[in-house]
Amino acid sequence: MSNLLDSLTTELRRGTLTLAVLSQLQTKQYGYSLVQLLEQSGISIEQSTLYPLLRRLEKQELVESLWDTTESRPRKYYVLTDFGIEIYEKLKTEWLVNSKQLYDLLKGE
Amino acid sequence: MNLIDVYINEVTRRLPEKNREDIGLELRSTIEDMLPEDSTEQDIKVVLNNLGNPAVLASNYSEKPMHLIGPRYYDVYVSLLKMILPIAAVVAIISLLAENIFNYNEDQAFLSVALMVLGKGIWLIIEVFIQTFFWLTIVFAIIERVDNTKDLNPLSFNGKKWTPEDLKSVAHVPRKKAVSNGYVFFSLLWTAIWVTVYFNADHLLGVYQKGENGLQFVMPALNQPILNAYWPVVIICVVLEVALALFMLFKKQWTKNIALLNVVKELVGTISVIVIITNVAIFNQEFIVYMSDLLNLNENAITGYIQWLTIIVYPIFAIWNCIDGYLKAKIN
Repeated sequence: MSNLLDSLTTELRRGTLTLAVLSQLQTKQYGYSLVQLLEQSGISIEQSTLYPLLRRLEKQELVESLWDTTESRPRKYYVLTDFGIEIYEKLKTEWLVNSKQLYDLLKGE
Repeated sequence: MNLIDVYINEVTRRLPEKNREDIGLELRSTIEDMLPEDSTEQDIKVVLNNLGNPAVLASNYSEKPMHLIGPRYYDVYVSLLKMILPIAAVVAIISLLAENIFNYNEDQAFLSVALMVLGKGIWLIIEVFIQTFFWLTIVFAIIERVDNTKDLNPLSFNGKKWTPEDLKSVAHVPRKKAVSNGYVFFSLLWTAIWVTVYFNADHLLGVYQKGENGLQFVMPALNQPILNAYWPVVIICVVLEVALALFMLFKKQWTKNIALLNVVKELVGTISVIVIITNVAIFNQEFIVYMSDLLNLNENAITGYIQWLTIIVYPIFAIWNCIDGYLKAKIN
């Protein structure tokens, strides 16, 4: 039973990860700082999912990346593009509407 | 540090060449971010454990599927497999039986031949299943990887997204228009039979005489090497017949296209038969002499009768078959 619950929970959360990541990339972040930010907000994400997700978002032109070599060790920073911001705003609205609907649904049980 | 190098290599070696360096660098900087100053091997292990199995990480990076056949093609794949496996098995068994029946040598005890055929048959079915399964799976696995449409909806049989229109092709087909699986089966069986007879004509078609052990074959009517020389023509006819049978199996009813293919098949078949029969060399001279003695006719008249009879009768059946196809296709 706890296995089933786990897999259902993972499924529930999976769709929200992109939105969570996009929300934190309004300012530029590197991989590990993003993990920390998300963890501070209580969102746990598999790192083996996060880094590939960042690359995918970059390929979809929602975020752009640049290597910063000025610090002691080089880091790859990611930040939303204009297109990314636009999509993020739309996704956010979508999420808020959806979660309100679901909330009402669950309230009425 | 060594563990980190190995880990990064384990990830990047699974990735396309062009991404390796960049992903490798990024991974290294991420891993170093997560490590405290003066890290111990234990620290490194904790961090790498967080990143997880390198194979999984690499598969998340590469967008290639981690399955052979995904949900988009699975249904079509399974349906095709169910359809093709029995046909392949039946065709294989028929050709095995045909081969053994026609090459049956009376010296062998029937039981031992039957047992051998049974054993061979089981083995043959297993082999055919493995082959069919293998090739169909390969084809679908390739399609899965070549298809780069983002659409994840399962496909229906015509290769498009399902619409209610598809129900029309499933819906009831008038009985006279329908092609039953049995019909397809028997047309394939017929193909197997005539091909076997054709290539074994020298010990099947000819003069039989009553001997000590029942009927005995005394002389062949046809010249096997000449018949064999026409093998490309036979292959073309077989291909057309099998194509028609499979087409019918898919459509399950007569359509205009099937009727047209049927005409092509009959046309090619008729031309082939006429070409082969008008070659006098296919007749065994001994047989012609025997017949002319028996019927008291001269030798040319014998071959002439056989040829003209074929040239007149065969096309009549062929034309009737073509018309019948079109009539069935027209039924609504």
